[in-house]
Amino acid sequence: MEFLIVSTLNGVIYGMLLFMVSAGLTLIFGMMGVLNFAHASFYMLGAYFAYTLSGLFNFWVGLIVAPLLVAIIGMLIERYMLRRVHAHGHAHELLLTFGLVFIFEELIKLFYGDFPVSYQRPDYLNFAIFNLFGTDYPFYRVFIGLVALLMFIVLFVLLTRTRVGMVVRAAERLPDTARALGHNVPMVFLGVFGAGAGLAGLSGAVAGAFFPTNPNMALELGVIVFVVVVVGGLGSLAGSLIASLLIGVFSSFAVGLDWSLASLFGLIGLGDWANSLGGLVTMPLSSISATVPFLLMLIVLLVRPAGLMGSKN
Amino acid sequence: MDTETQSDVLVIDDLRKHFGGLEIMRGVDLTIKHGERHALVGPNGAGKSTLFNLISGEHRPSGGHIYLQGQRISGLKPEQISRRGLTRSFQITNVFSRMSAFENIRIGVMARHGIRFNLYRRIRPMRAINEESHALLRQVRLDHRADSLASDLTYSEQRALEIGMTLATGAEVILLDEPTAGMSRDETAYMVELIRQVTEGKTLMMVEHDMSVVFGLCDRISVLVYGRILATGGPEEIRSNQEVQSAYLGEEEEH
Amino acid sequence: MRYALIAILALLALLIIAPPLLGTGWQYALINALIAALFAAAFNLLVGQGGMLSFGHAAYFGVGAFTVIHLMQSVEYGDFPFPTVLLPLAGAAVSLLCGVLAGFFATMRSGVYFALVTLALAELLHSLAPHWDEMFGGEAGLSSMRMPSLGLTFGSTLEVYYLTLAWVVICIGLLYAYTRTPFGRLTLALRDNEQRIRFMGFNAHGTKILVFGISAMFSGVAGSLMAISNETANYSVFSTQVSALVVLHTFVGGSTIFFGPIVGACVLSLFTFVVSGVTHSWMLYQGIIFVLVMLFAPKGIGGVIQAHIEQRHSLPWKRLAAPYALATLAGLMVACATVFVVQSLEIVLSREYAAAVARTGEYAPYTVFGLEWRVFHPLTWLFPLLLLVPGLYMLRRAFARIQTLWDNDESDDDGDIATTPELMEGGR
Repeated sequence: MEFLIVSTLNGVIYGMLLFMVSAGLTLIFGMMGVLNFAHASFYMLGAYFAYTLSGLFNFWVGLIVAPLLVAIIGMLIERYMLRRVHAHGHAHELLLTFGLVFIFEELIKLFYGDFPVSYQRPDYLNFAIFNLFGTDYPFYRVFIGLVALLMFIVLFVLLTRTRVGMVVRAAERLPDTARALGHNVPMVFLGVFGAGAGLAGLSGAVAGAFFPTNPNMALELGVIVFVVVVVGGLGSLAGSLIASLLIGVFSSFAVGLDWSLASLFGLIGLGDWANSLGGLVTMPLSSISATVPFLLMLIVLLVRPAGLMGSKN
Repeated sequence: MDTETQSDVLVIDDLRKHFGGLEIMRGVDLTIKHGERHALVGPNGAGKSTLFNLISGEHRPSGGHIYLQGQRISGLKPEQISRRGLTRSFQITNVFSRMSAFENIRIGVMARHGIRFNLYRRIRPMRAINEESHALLRQVRLDHRADSLASDLTYSEQRALEIGMTLATGAEVILLDEPTAGMSRDETAYMVELIRQVTEGKTLMMVEHDMSVVFGLCDRISVLVYGRILATGGPEEIRSNQEVQSAYLGEEEEH
Repeated sequence: MRYALIAILALLALLIIAPPLLGTGWQYALINALIAALFAAAFNLLVGQGGMLSFGHAAYFGVGAFTVIHLMQSVEYGDFPFPTVLLPLAGAAVSLLCGVLAGFFATMRSGVYFALVTLALAELLHSLAPHWDEMFGGEAGLSSMRMPSLGLTFGSTLEVYYLTLAWVVICIGLLYAYTRTPFGRLTLALRDNEQRIRFMGFNAHGTKILVFGISAMFSGVAGSLMAISNETANYSVFSTQVSALVVLHTFVGGSTIFFGPIVGACVLSLFTFVVSGVTHSWMLYQGIIFVLVMLFAPKGIGGVIQAHIEQRHSLPWKRLAAPYALATLAGLMVACATVFVVQSLEIVLSREYAAAVARTGEYAPYTVFGLEWRVFHPLTWLFPLLLLVPGLYMLRRAFARIQTLWDNDESDDDGDIATTPELMEGGR
């Protein structure tokens, strides 16, 4: 019971964090057709910038200014790099962002070293919010969830209730028509790219103070975020929210479970036979927890490439 | 089912197609005879392109049948239909843009000879293939452009190349989708002459908007309106058909 | 084309004659460069010729490597005799099989979705391998030893080098021959227009599976050679980095030209060998080179060279000489400034330097380009700035001039340097 509640809570919060990063990625793909490999790098940049700023000023300055800096970097990339290679097609844009991943990772290593930095949350945020079955539950986890929730509400209101949001949604569906109607589509792209980068930066700034901040964080999170946007359906915000929660909860549960295919066979009385096979069949879920998301991604791509909520094929 | 004779090359029987709830083809019956040049005309949105897509295997029919030389082809894949002797061109230029004109044709000739997975011979010494490709290129009057990239050809040269590629597959039945669209008067005249020459002895079905092309080139004409064949007949018959006039030709003259 | 043949033969002669005169370090670097070249050529069969961008080619490279290690182990334990020389055949066979299987599924999708399927497949293997002891030896991986065969002991790096060279030359030769078969031509047609080949009577899915399989097969040979050379393999051969590196090599070299990726792989892996001994930031430099190529030379180094060869008769070489010299000089200035800044940062921001500062309380001078620099001296930071700003300005001017000279002289095709039939078709 304890495991169930704590794991669910951890999973939901991790899922909301995943959503904060994947929201920008999926929005950018939906509008511009660019699959931005460097998106998780923005997450990493957010964490490192916030680390530096919180050292120079305080935690809150880092939390607010770091995402803005990341958004500016994102806009510069869109304006001076992506737009330049746009004529060569989407594959080329994708390759360009792919190269940027290495540059960002190496720059971070250059400035901060190969090892994790100790990006700390302030002490007054460091308390147990409640006690579950004798275990303290850290407030900061809840804080991450709250920031994500706040961001989701802001994003939702922006997209559905404001003029800008309408243009964004129009430009997403029919860029040429939107342009013909006199909207400045390149400007919208610039804004969306910047906003997406800023969101990833914000999640880095929040999460970096809880999870390790190291040069590998972009690559590690990057592949999971890809899984999320694919499973949710490339371009679908609602889809990636569901997929984020799904994968968040799954990862959190899988770590603690030692189920295997063999135990599944055990249910129908074939346990001994399955155990004798060894190999994949007896591998516990906890050790293949990193594999399952990719399997899910693969199945979605092959069976329903539009994803859970996507409508485009 | 109509009585099927040797001369009926393509028989379409009560063909239906709907996308979701939208009914595009509402029971088309059409018979194309061997060696005829048949035009398919009709207002925009009548379903001409959809009919081509159904015949050539791009889409599966929702109902009805299509027979080619007496064999059912409805439900087959495009490549299977192509191998049975029916091939098509496209409304928009659809060539291998980064290959030379000669190579564009040669791919078609390879298809005709059933060379699909040949990895053990060089293509350059294959004399029959190369000579046939050159002959076809001459036939569509592109021999002087053999080595140019397809993307470097002029628009009308690309359309001619398309027709050459269609011929190269050795098809007996050729479907051309608006072969003169977007051409000047001179280019159109040139293209009509070319089509007349190269389809000699083959069966041709074409979608065409230019009525002078239709009446000048085709033996029979079918008028497609809202997913149904309104009328089929010779040029004179169609010209004088009252129903057709009101549904289609009249509208055209207003332009 | 005759010159190209002579150049290739000369290069081959050099590759045969030179290595005994080099140290083992260089021999080893050449082995890696050859393997990277074959891997890139195999990858480019899929990407450049088949038009399918894969982000998970490490999978087939790794499958080749593990196949060979397993086989080497059974040879080592005397279970199964198999000549070391022919080991890559086994890697090729298993990779072909895996490639056909994976290709069957992956080629059901196209574009970004295809890329994501290949990525997912490789990540699947990469995340599974460290937990699967019997197959991949867990996190430590598997090791074995090269057994003597055909009178060769394979004890020295040089012998391994010649084995690698032979396999790489044969395989690249086969890949080149592929481009001149009917199926090779069909592959190009597939890249240009999949719909059209279907309507011409070809089975597009089957064609794509075979292209994928063959590309995987030659990638497997490259992986096999890597396993033979290292005598070990672990799950990291499936990593994103391996898939990424081959993408980098291929596109820096130029994917529209057969020899582009091979040149890119050789240049970049030898660059890595030389530079990684001097600086930790070699990957940064490689990333910068890749992004610059993507931005300013979309068809890669090979594309630039090819454009020059094609236009050699029409270009105003005399008038181009000055701007080219200016561009070279400016490029060197900018590169120099960049390297200076990166190397300075690498030293000043390192842990060792911070420790020294903490210990002695002062910022000691450091050495870059053989000169001493002080961290807080204005000249230290003025120097790269003085190179960078005029360098960038000169580069802009030079390229504007080069652009006009090229445009003026273009005959009928407007600088389009796509895959020309001459190059792909070979001897005309």
